[in-house]
Amino acid sequence: MTAPAGDVRSMLADMIADASDGEVSAAQALAGDHSLTALGLTSLALIRLIDAIEDTFGVDLGPDMLSYDRFDALASHLAELLSA
Amino acid sequence: MTVSATSATVAFCGARDGEAALTWGQRHVWRALRLHGPGQYFLNCPWVLPVYARRDLGAVLTALRALIERHESLRTTFADPADGPVQRVARSGELTVLLEQAKQERPLELAERLAARMSEEIFAPEDWPLRCRVVVKDGRPCALALAFSHLAVDHEALGLLSADWRRLQRGEDLPPASWQPMDQTELEATEPFQARSARSIRYWQPVLDDVPLDVFGHPPGRPEDPRFIEVAMESAALGIAVGQLAKRWGVSTSSVLLAAWATTLAAVSDRQQAVMLLVHSNRRDPRTRAMVGTVGQDSLFALDLGDTRGGTDFAAACRAAERAALLAYRNTQYDPFAMWAVREETGRRRGREPDLNAFFNDRLGSGRPDLSRSAPDANVPGLTGKTRTYASNSWPSIHIRVMFTVGTMAGASELSLIVDTAYLPRDIATSMLLGIEALIVRSLTEDIPIAAVPQVCGIAAYRGHRL
Repeated sequence: MTAPAGDVRSMLADMIADASDGEVSAAQALAGDHSLTALGLTSLALIRLIDAIEDTFGVDLGPDMLSYDRFDALASHLAELLSA
Repeated sequence: MTVSATSATVAFCGARDGEAALTWGQRHVWRALRLHGPGQYFLNCPWVLPVYARRDLGAVLTALRALIERHESLRTTFADPADGPVQRVARSGELTVLLEQAKQERPLELAERLAARMSEEIFAPEDWPLRCRVVVKDGRPCALALAFSHLAVDHEALGLLSADWRRLQRGEDLPPASWQPMDQTELEATEPFQARSARSIRYWQPVLDDVPLDVFGHPPGRPEDPRFIEVAMESAALGIAVGQLAKRWGVSTSSVLLAAWATTLAAVSDRQQAVMLLVHSNRRDPRTRAMVGTVGQDSLFALDLGDTRGGTDFAAACRAAERAALLAYRNTQYDPFAMWAVREETGRRRGREPDLNAFFNDRLGSGRPDLSRSAPDANVPGLTGKTRTYASNSWPSIHIRVMFTVGTMAGASELSLIVDTAYLPRDIATSMLLGIEALIVRSLTEDIPIAAVPQVCGIAAYRGHRL
């Protein structure tokens, strides 16, 4: 699946809001001012998010999950996987 | 619905029936029930549903009927034909409910006692997966006392049933739940889920190849009778200290408790590695979040403390535990039957299967209330004087070496430790609970090197019963 980078960031932000049951809003995630954990993303929500990303985009994010704790790092990693 | 002076019969008729293979969560419990053998009632789930307002018996039984009709799991039996176990959802049936009169006893206390007693009896696969009694006082129903088979519910499902029960008592009509275990079975057969199962097994395999074959290195000694005991600790200090450390170190409260348990277990077992199964709710797929069923599976967790002994401290162990737990949780979507085949194959290669019967069970997980907020200025070390430990349960036969469970009571943390006394005596188990509290409370004011954990906790390596 391919999508423009802006669309991917927007989809990713919505997925974060879904995975956290709204604890982290899409706008908060997109702002990128804080780590997702600091915004309130729990470990279970992080795993839900990873499942959702892998199912939606058909990618394998790899084992280093704590490196996804910043929105920008996660979005960049996903963009790299999608362009590979 | 028929009612006599001592019992009632609830006739239910749901939206569909059917037969399907077991879900992964059901397979996990199916296997566990067999491993626990005669002690399998340990896995049963007692629960109480209070009647909140003045309702007559007919209204209460109607609400119970609605609950059973809404959730297929509550009208599912099991069978074990030659090609593998199956779940059988009945569309209709009848459940007999006994009426219990609360005389001098408070109704909710009686309901809790009845639920616990009903849980001491094994559910046969062909039984309805719940037993129910209505506690009545002065002619008014006050509570349902329930015991569920773990094949029907897990801890999260019990919470969902309580939420439904409140809505039903408000008079709401609830439709059939949108996602049921038979739907989950179908989903787990799809390619993405099979791929996740394969990935989880790839994560487990090298850990299984590497872990010690036994939880403890010493041979079994003479156990207590009953052999398996549970000791518990209630601590106001612990709940506050865990919350403060979690904030300070940027980890979850669950990770602080997991690291404390792992380092304590490693110290007592004289190992540099803590290996255990994490009891995981596993409700990560959006569809399972509202499903009444059993979804949980075990996560394989390994924390190497060897490289932390030289210079790092308990804070580093908490961060390492968080990373290791995330990895373990991520690899907890697997077909248990396929995983057991891998474990058996590993056993053939290594001479016998690694004993993985050390557990960490955080009942609240990320849903734990932050007790540090309620008492930001508390003298935490001073509160340890109020900590109490007590014996809470015993069983003649269960399939556990050691299980650490975390819960929260009003205003305090409750920890408990189930041990196989053939391997760990009661006084050591109690020392471990107090040691975990000491480690966490002392960490508020000083860095604790991993090498100092035994001294801080007041524990030592245990190498078997003294002769």
